[in-house]
Amino acid sequence: MADSDPDRRKFLQIATCAIGGGVGLVVAVPALQLISDPAGKQTITSPSAPFDLGPAERFRVGEPPRKIEIVAPVIQDAWTAARDVVLGAAWIRRVGPGANEIDARSATCPHLGCAVGWDAARGNYLCPCHDSRFAASGDKLTGPSERGLDALPVQIVEGRLKLTWERYRTGQSTKERL
Amino acid sequence: MVNPVTWLRERTALTATAPGTIEGGASVAYVFGTVLVFLLLVQGITGAALAAFYSPSSTDAWASVAYVQDQAALGWFVRGLHHHGGSAIVVIAGIHLVQTAIAGAYKKPRELVWWLGILLLVVVLAWAVTGMILRWDQEGYWSNRVEVGIAAGTPIIGDQIQKLALGGNDYGNLTLTRFYALHVIVLPVIVTLLTIGHIVLARRHGTTPMRKRAAVRRWPHQSLRDVIAIAIVFAILIAFVVSSGGASLAAPADSTQPYDARPLWYFRWLFELRELAGSAEQLVAMLAPAVVGGFLVALPLLDRGSDRAVRSRALWLGGLVGILGVIAGLTLMSFVRDGNSPELAERIAKAETRAHRARTLAKTYGVPATGGADIWSMAPMWRARTLYAQRCASCHDEASKDRKGPILAPGHKNRAWITAFLQEPSGDRFWGRTKLAKTEAAMKPVELKRPELDDVVELIYAEGGAADVDPAKRARGVTLFESACSDCHSLAEGVSGSGPNLAGTGTRAHYTSFMSNPKSGVHMGADNSEMPRFDEELTVVERDAIAEYLVWLRTATKADLDALGPL
Ligand code: FES
Repeated sequence: MADSDPDRRKFLQIATCAIGGGVGLVVAVPALQLISDPAGKQTITSPSAPFDLGPAERFRVGEPPRKIEIVAPVIQDAWTAARDVVLGAAWIRRVGPGANEIDARSATCPHLGCAVGWDAARGNYLCPCHDSRFAASGDKLTGPSERGLDALPVQIVEGRLKLTWERYRTGQSTKERL
Repeated sequence: MVNPVTWLRERTALTATAPGTIEGGASVAYVFGTVLVFLLLVQGITGAALAAFYSPSSTDAWASVAYVQDQAALGWFVRGLHHHGGSAIVVIAGIHLVQTAIAGAYKKPRELVWWLGILLLVVVLAWAVTGMILRWDQEGYWSNRVEVGIAAGTPIIGDQIQKLALGGNDYGNLTLTRFYALHVIVLPVIVTLLTIGHIVLARRHGTTPMRKRAAVRRWPHQSLRDVIAIAIVFAILIAFVVSSGGASLAAPADSTQPYDARPLWYFRWLFELRELAGSAEQLVAMLAPAVVGGFLVALPLLDRGSDRAVRSRALWLGGLVGILGVIAGLTLMSFVRDGNSPELAERIAKAETRAHRARTLAKTYGVPATGGADIWSMAPMWRARTLYAQRCASCHDEASKDRKGPILAPGHKNRAWITAFLQEPSGDRFWGRTKLAKTEAAMKPVELKRPELDDVVELIYAEGGAADVDPAKRARGVTLFESACSDCHSLAEGVSGSGPNLAGTGTRAHYTSFMSNPKSGVHMGADNSEMPRFDEELTVVERDAIAEYLVWLRTATKADLDALGPL
């Protein structure tokens, strides 16, 4: 009887495990590969051209920062091509009378990514999640954030404000583009 | 050091239910149950991976499946495994059933094991049906319509079944969400519970040995046979997936586009039976599965003796073989019938072209947020080309038999076109087919010779707003225009003459204006144009889209036009 030979039994056990393991790998590897596919891709894309935010002169010296939604005319989100999608918001403020003296800050908190609001009573920015405060200039005041609000690249072209939308890694002291 | 295996055994007390022994020795006949468990696990794993991509909404479903199929790494393979794995389950379950029947393993006291098995088979078949609709393509959509239609024919409760299945009065978001819930939560839980019950009972009773041999331990003797069988079945499955390129995906579901809906292959026999039954199809569709199911359920009650010898059970086994034979025969007939129809082959080829086009568009441009059925609108200049095909082509397209006006084709109003036109305005491709061409009012060929002719051409070409104008030639053209053309034509905005005003001819604005009212004094004039006004038939946006397309034609070639792809 086969059962009586321990060497043979051992061999059969190893063979069973080896074949079973091999089959298991062939099932698991493609499934894991598929699930991790989006991690290595830009799954949400929008045109990289700067967004037109209207005439630059509508921002005046001395006014508090204004929150402007950044609306992409078209984005591709995995399988969908959608129009007029809000990507995020920027706080815009004129810092001086010169044509180019406009400052834009991402409304995404550099701490852990909550949306930063303007506290009109105190004249500075407040992130509601963990109470980080930022000066009107964007500099960090108090709270856990390790850096000030991220400046977004802006340009004035023929009197119109053009803003380049970017995202940055949160939770660190240096500004790093994503 | 504690041995982790021992540790776990002690803590879980699992030793008590260790694999145990098999009466009469290990056998290949016993592998099928284990293979089925393996295939179910494959469905679970591939299903979980697919669910991480799938979006059960009528606007997104097809798009998300197309994304997995055509864009995600190995998506086609995982989806193929899931789809063909379902078929493999039906095949192996069939073999398992026949093997069990031959062994007489449904006899007392194993009736419950047998009945649980039959129930499992039914649930698994229903499971596949709930999966087919999820892809929301033509194939899944139309085959589901037929299936739900059959269910709706059930006396008394049919209407309620239909409303419940669709989640209301028609196919939409709620249809998908509920089939999705059935497919990924309800049925998997039911199948798991039934499978556990089936296995626990089967283990309690042990196998029904066909031969007298010594018992062996299940592990590793039977396990090795199981795992080899698993490897073989899986290898065949993979070969099938790879050779077929995975599961099919037709064009997005579209309730206005007819499609030759066919059920999954294991329902083909019912499809054929309905075809043969003619007006009795509804009755047959209900009765045939009931007869087959009834026979299987009744088998342990009919074949009661304790004798397991095949010969003494010839009647009942013969009945089973007969039923399977009829099913196989009907299935074959259905496929042969389809295979013999050239019209069907043509329609299938057309549907495949549409599917390919839809998937190419989805991969290149994404699917519009309004849903898969609008995928065609993602084609470049789709609106303009569709309108052109509907409203302009019959009078203006080279291929049209009833053409009445000038041909609108790549190169329209480029230098070569203008040159040829000036030399022979009533040529066939220009005004030749208009009534105007045969009258006194028709434009006469321009008698200028090169290089003067080229200068006039440059002037008119410049009106179209092209970037590559030669200013010197154009300037010379102005003088020549004065002497040769200005009797009939003007280049000053808004001035009418006996011929069309040429200011801005070839620009988007000019085309839009011309389309709006060709009979206007600045264009052809009231008496010289057969072309209808389009200012009320087409919206501003539509006219502008066509105009944009016509401007594009100027610099396009035939190859560019073909590259836009079909509509
Ligand atoms: S996310 Fe803004 S303070 Fe934490």
